[in-house]
Formats: sequence, structure tokens, C-alpha cells
Amino acid sequence: MYGRVYAVAVVGVQGRLISVEAYVGRGLPALALAGLPGAGIQDARERVRPAVESSGLTWPLRRVVVNLSPAGIRKEGPGFDLPIALGVLAASGQVPTTLLGAYAFAGELSLKGELVGTAGILPVAMAAATGRLKGVVVPEANAAEASLVEGLDVVPAPSLAAVAGFLRGSWSPSAESSVMRATRQPSRELDLAEVRGQGMARRALEIAAAGGHNLLMVGPPGAGKTMLARRLPTILPAMTRQEALEVTRLHSVAGLLSGGLVEARPFRSPHHSISGPGLLGGGSGFLRPGEVSLAHHGVLFLDEMSEFRRDALEGLRQPLEDGRVIVARAAGAVEFPARFALVAASNPCPCGFEGDPQRLCRCLPNRILAYRQRLSGPLLDRIDIHLSVPRLSRAELLGTEAGEPSAVVRSRVEEARARQRSNLPGRPWTCNAQMPGGLARRHARLTDAAESVLSVAVESLALSGRGFDRALKVARTIADLAGEERIGAEHMREALSYRGVPSAEEMTYVG
Amino acid sequence: MIGGSAGTPARVRLRRPSDLSAEGAPRRGGQRRADGPHLSWPDRFVDTEEDRSALIVLLHLASLTPRRFLELAQERRTAAACLRAVADGECASGFDRALAGSIRPREVRPRIEACRARLVAVGDSEYPPGLLELFDPPVGLFVRGGPLEALTPRMSIVGARSCSPAGRDVASALARALAQAGVCVVSGGARGIDTAAHEGALRAGGRTISVLGCGIDILYPGQNRALLEEIATSGAVVSEYPPGTPAEPFRFPARNRIVAALSRGVVIVEGATGSGSMITADHALDVGREVFAVPGAVTSPLAAVPLSLIRDGATLVRGPADLLGDLGLPVSVPGDLSGGSSWWGPSASAAEQTVWEALTVAMAPDSLARAAGRPLPEVVSALVGLELRGKVRQVGGRYERRVEGSA
Repeated sequence: MYGRVYAVAVVGVQGRLISVEAYVGRGLPALALAGLPGAGIQDARERVRPAVESSGLTWPLRRVVVNLSPAGIRKEGPGFDLPIALGVLAASGQVPTTLLGAYAFAGELSLKGELVGTAGILPVAMAAATGRLKGVVVPEANAAEASLVEGLDVVPAPSLAAVAGFLRGSWSPSAESSVMRATRQPSRELDLAEVRGQGMARRALEIAAAGGHNLLMVGPPGAGKTMLARRLPTILPAMTRQEALEVTRLHSVAGLLSGGLVEARPFRSPHHSISGPGLLGGGSGFLRPGEVSLAHHGVLFLDEMSEFRRDALEGLRQPLEDGRVIVARAAGAVEFPARFALVAASNPCPCGFEGDPQRLCRCLPNRILAYRQRLSGPLLDRIDIHLSVPRLSRAELLGTEAGEPSAVVRSRVEEARARQRSNLPGRPWTCNAQMPGGLARRHARLTDAAESVLSVAVESLALSGRGFDRALKVARTIADLAGEERIGAEHMREALSYRGVPSAEEMTYVG
Repeated sequence: MIGGSAGTPARVRLRRPSDLSAEGAPRRGGQRRADGPHLSWPDRFVDTEEDRSALIVLLHLASLTPRRFLELAQERRTAAACLRAVADGECASGFDRALAGSIRPREVRPRIEACRARLVAVGDSEYPPGLLELFDPPVGLFVRGGPLEALTPRMSIVGARSCSPAGRDVASALARALAQAGVCVVSGGARGIDTAAHEGALRAGGRTISVLGCGIDILYPGQNRALLEEIATSGAVVSEYPPGTPAEPFRFPARNRIVAALSRGVVIVEGATGSGSMITADHALDVGREVFAVPGAVTSPLAAVPLSLIRDGATLVRGPADLLGDLGLPVSVPGDLSGGSSWWGPSASAAEQTVWEALTVAMAPDSLARAAGRPLPEVVSALVGLELRGKVRQVGGRYERRVEGSA
């Protein structure tokens, strides 16, 4: 009459252990769901009965009540198909209950009773481990991610019938499938060496990677902004296992995972038509992590930044400050981690060719001004490196040799990062970019020569307060890359070259 | 003295293929080169108060273009008579006849005075005689500042609105040199080269005239409001359009004929194919003014107009010295604008010197690093050092030398 199975609800990226109770009693044949099921779980009502019957099992032709407990949180996701089906089978006495209390179950069922790959299995496994269960039963396709959680017995099952067999002791996962397709896809690796010319941009990427600085590239179409941005992850230090797990969990929840641990730093480049929730996380019903969270520990590339919706860009301020996004709902707030390197790209003007010596820009100055104004504002203040990327002519590209490979640059980046960690001990920030503006001055350690360069720059370049802090932080990183204790005049001057494009305020005299 | 042709080298009269073939460069700017004899305004065309009032009304009529007005004047002999002809329906459109009936000069005059302007009509001593050489001279000019006869000799500097920073520097340097030599700089008050020319003249303490393509009371473009006010104080702002005429694109080519005719010659600094700079040059030729052009790289779209003018026989100008020399003025400025290498003091580092010498054309820093044979960070650092001294500037990711003294 009664059966109980463990399932896991995912709220944000956190799994919560849920008990799925089923009761088969008198009444017309029907399946009632109680306990705040979300829209995805309402669908399960229709799927579960065909799946059970296709698997050679019997659906009780009586009134079935399924309750998800605790009732207080809203449950979402297709992973509830399997536990609901098992609850009903247990309540109707078709599977023994001995193992039910030791495992959590998750997986979407097809009408034929197969277990289909399901999003969010890693948090399910994590919640099972936290709840001190023995193991999890998951679709075969998700075995790799579930087995990332240590000390957990992962049972990859192909179908509902197999799970029933597992509970009866008549089926066990083959050794083959429990190896779990550990073969990693040898994806074609990008490398910085493939970029010809653009030495300045390559250098800027290195500085951005070394100091954790955000980067803005402004240049005409065809300058290679996207190509450069894609190669930033390749020169960032390798992720620690903890970081990789965080990334994998986020990608699992978003249903983007195609294997086990995500080891390469993610690179996300959403189109500029993306909505605020799409970028930052949210959505109706199931709260999905946004692109900022999918770029966690990686790179978020915003091509044509000025074309993005204003509200979406404004929303970037919180993750850029705190490294996380909080999606507030009436039912409560959900937090997604979102610590990423921002790379923004933009054309210099609406037509794209302002400042290009070969192509004539047809934009009116006030249009250019309006275009740049869309770029300016608080978001730009959080981007330390502003870079103009020229479109190189064929002649300029000829005679350029291939640049350094990513691995060489990455080793310098790692050294510079290590130097920052030892220079900033006992501080909550680990890289120069995270230094609060007011403290940049104290931690920068300028030589007298660098001081005088800076004071000249304040005069002759009309450097703003923000621009001053940005230049200091970038100069600190350049000195770290050079292995210097103090910022020299040459570091300071190089940092000042990354002011890049005149902002709207500086463009008052455009003629 | 630049009044006469003495002292200036004989120059080939421009040969323009477009003069010879029907399918040459598109001709714009109204009635130039239209068939018809050269006409003059009748003596005492604007003589009495009644004539002046009539003229104010007539200037409002769009269908009475300067050439038609001039033709009408041949038979009617006075402005008042012309207005009667309009009222009788003998010329101008029906719309304009009604408009002429509704305009009260009494009401227009305060608007002219409100912006401290005055109407200078043909026959007045202040009316610039050079304008009469036009095929369609304006019958009158609204003037703020002046007097115009004191603002001589005059040279025009015109060019692209969307100019390059280097073009802006060149225009400014030329204007400064002219102003220091006592020449009044004429331009169109537009953005870009025009603005740089006006500003250069003002910065040198010189005088300048801005010819507007809109009503004298409308300061267009808006960014140049303060500049135009300053020009009105130290030089003059002029317009052939009555107060309230909005700035509209079709009036700018017509404005260019006045820019050309007001001055001894025209310097074209930058212009893309099909731009207004070419129109100004054409007007200058029509009234027999000299055309000077500042060349650019053949790959630069902004050099299209100057280069084609030079090819057609315009005088090539490398910098202020060339221009002053050609005008027979004493040359007191450096010969060219390429920067030279004479500025080095003890403050310049070896790296800066190397980088400066390698920076012959606009270059991306890594091209420059290859050319100079130095590592990129050192080159970037040197470039910023030069930038802080105002010696170079960055445009779209490339660095270039700045024109001497333009910082």
C-alpha cells in the first residue's frame, strides 16, 4: 500500500534530499501528486504509467497518491520520473524495499521505460553523499558526473526494468558501463600561437590573465576580437579540482554536461539579444543558471557589448563585484556562483570603421558619441584594460611570425599569480584586479620614476580617479609579470597605453 | 601682400576631365555652370528703406534663387520693384507669393537685431566685391561681427567633417600660420576640418569668418555654439539666409560658393570622394580663385579629393611654409609637418628616440616593435612616453606622429 523512495530536488545548484511517498488505495484509477511539484514534475504524471507498463511491470488500477516531502520547497525537473515510478512499484509490492532506503534515485523516463540522460545529476549525487546514503541510481548517460562524488556507489541504469531488477537483486551494472566512458573527447585545443600579428592584444590578454583584469577590446569588424577572446581561457592557470567541480555542477544543472569533470575553463559568448534572466540566471519555474554562472571560473565574452540590453548589462555589476548572482523570488533567493573574467568587444562606431585608415567611417560624430555613451558607465569602470584592436592589412600581417604558444604564456601567468598571492597575504582578494580602488595606491608600490609618470599622465591625459586606479592595478600586474618588486616607470607607461578608446566624456572635441 | 598675383608663381589652370565630358564627376551645388551670361546687380538696387524692407521679404522666398533673383533684377532695377513683381504673380511660386504677403519686415528686423546681426546688401560699402564674380551672387549677407572690409586678406580652409585627427592638426596648423601672418581664415563652421581651421586661427589670436548654411541666428552644429560666438566677437559670422532658416543639407553646397568667393584661395585638407570639399574647389575655380590641396596617403579614403585636385593641377601644400610662400608672405614657421627630429632634448630616452624614428607612418605597436627591433613592452612604454609629451597619438590601435605644436 505504501512505499517511500529518496529523490533530490535541485534549488539553484544545491540538491535537497526529498522523500517520495506513494500510496495505492481505493478509488478510480488516477495519479495524484502532492507536495508542491513544479511544472516539470506535473509532466511526470503522464510519463510514469506508460513507462511502468512498457517495462513489463503493472500499474495499479487504483487511486495512487504521490507526496513529495518536505512540502515546503518547490520541486523541479524531470529527474523525479524514476523515484515516482519506484514509489508506486514499492507501494504496489512489485519491488522489495530493502535497498530503497540506501539509494537516491533520479532520472527521466521515456514512455518505453528507458532512462534518459537528465540535467542536474551532479547535485543529486552530492546531496545523496551529504545525506549519508550509500549510493545513487542514475541514467547511464549521467554516470560519469555522478561518480565525481567520492565514496558514493553509483549505479548507472539503462531502464526502469533494470532498476527494478537491481532492487530485486537480479540485475547489476556491468563493469563495462561502470567504467563510465571515461574516454575524454580530444577536442581541438585553441592556442594563442595561432594569432598572427596583434602583439599588443596578445600582451593585453596576458596581463588580463595574470592580474584577473577584465578586458574591453574596441576595433573594426575583422580585427580578430573574437579570435583573441577565445584564447584567453588557454592562458589562464589550470583549474583546481574544487573549481572544476563547481563548474561541473553548474553545467550539470544547466544540462550542458556531456561527460565527467569539466577541466577546461569555460568560454561563454552569449548573443547580444540575450535577456536579463538568460544572462544572469532565473527564468520562470525552474531557476536556470545564467551565462555569467556558466562562465564561472572561465571567460564571459560579450561581443558587440553596446548592443546588449541595458538591464542585462546593469545586472552584471553584482557578479563582477561579488562573484555570484542572487536571483530573488517570492519563494526565496537562490544563489549561483559567477566569478568570471569579462571580455567585452565593441566596434568603435555604428559602422565599425572609425579610426581605420583604409575604410571611411560614415557615422556622424553625434552618433559615435551616442554609441560610446552606451558603452560607458559603471560597467566600464570595472574593466581595467581598454584596448584598441586595429584591423591589420595584408602587408602588416606579412612578415609576422607565429606568437608564443599558450603554454609558455600560461606559465608566466601562473608565476605572476603566485607572486600576487604572496604579495597580498591575509587579504580577501587573490589578484590585482580584485584590489579595492582605494587600496590600490597603497599596495601598488611605485618607484619615484613611476610616480612622476603618473602625475604627468594625470595632467596631460586628464586621467580620472577611476582611470588612475585602473592604471595602478594594471601597472602592478605588469610589474608582477616582470618579476619586479616595485612598479617602474616603464611598467606605469605601458599600463597607461591600455586606456584605449576615448570614452564619451573624453570625446567632447571630436570635430 | 597677397592682393595681387605678383610674387606668386604662374600656375597651370586646372584641367578637369569633368569639364570636357558629360559624364564626369557629378556636379552638385545648384546652378553653377548653368548657361547664361555673367550678370551684375543693378546700381542702387537696394537704395531706399523701402528697398531694404522688400529685400528682407524677398530673401525668405525659396523659389527666388539667387540666380533667378539676379535675372529678375535686370529688368526691375530695384528690390522694391522686384517685390511688386512677385506680388503681381510675374515670378516666384504661388506659395512664395502668399508667403511674401505675410512677411512683415517690421517683425523680422528685431530678430536680426536680437542676434546682433545686420543685413549687408549689394551696393553697401561692406559688401565683399569678390562675391560679385559668382554666377549667382547673394543679394545680401546677414553679418554678425565684422566689418567685413576690415577682415582682409582672406584665405579659406575647408575639408571633411569626419576628418582624421592628423587632418585636424594640419588644418589647425595652417590656420595658425595664416592668422599669425595677418590673414583672415574663412571656413564653413562645420565639424571636422572647418572647426579646426577656425580654432587654429582663434588660438593664434587671429581673425576668422564662418559662413553658415543656415539662418544667422542658428548656431549649427550645436557643439560649435561657443566657437561661433567667439568667431562673431573676434571676426565675423555670415549667412545669406534670413533668421530662422534651419540647417538643411541642401544649403551647404550653396554656402560653399560664398566660402570660395570670399577669399583669395581655398585650401582643401581632407575630403572623401563626392564630398563638399570638391564642390568648394569647383566654386573656387569658377570664380578664378587658387586651389591648394594637402596630400595624404593614396590608400587613405580621406585623401581622395586633395589627391585628385593635385592631379588636376591644384597646388600641393606640405605645410604652413609652402602655403605662406606661395601667397608671398614671410615664412616664419617650420617647413613641414612630418615632425622632423629636431626636438630632442636631454629628457628623451634612447628607446623613445628609436621608436620615434621608426614611426614613419601610422603603425600598430607590434609592427613598430619589429621595425625598431625592440621588444613590444619597451616600445609600448616608449610610445606612451612620447604620447605624454604630445609627440604621438593613438588612433584606432595605431600610433602616429602628431603635427608639431598641435598638442
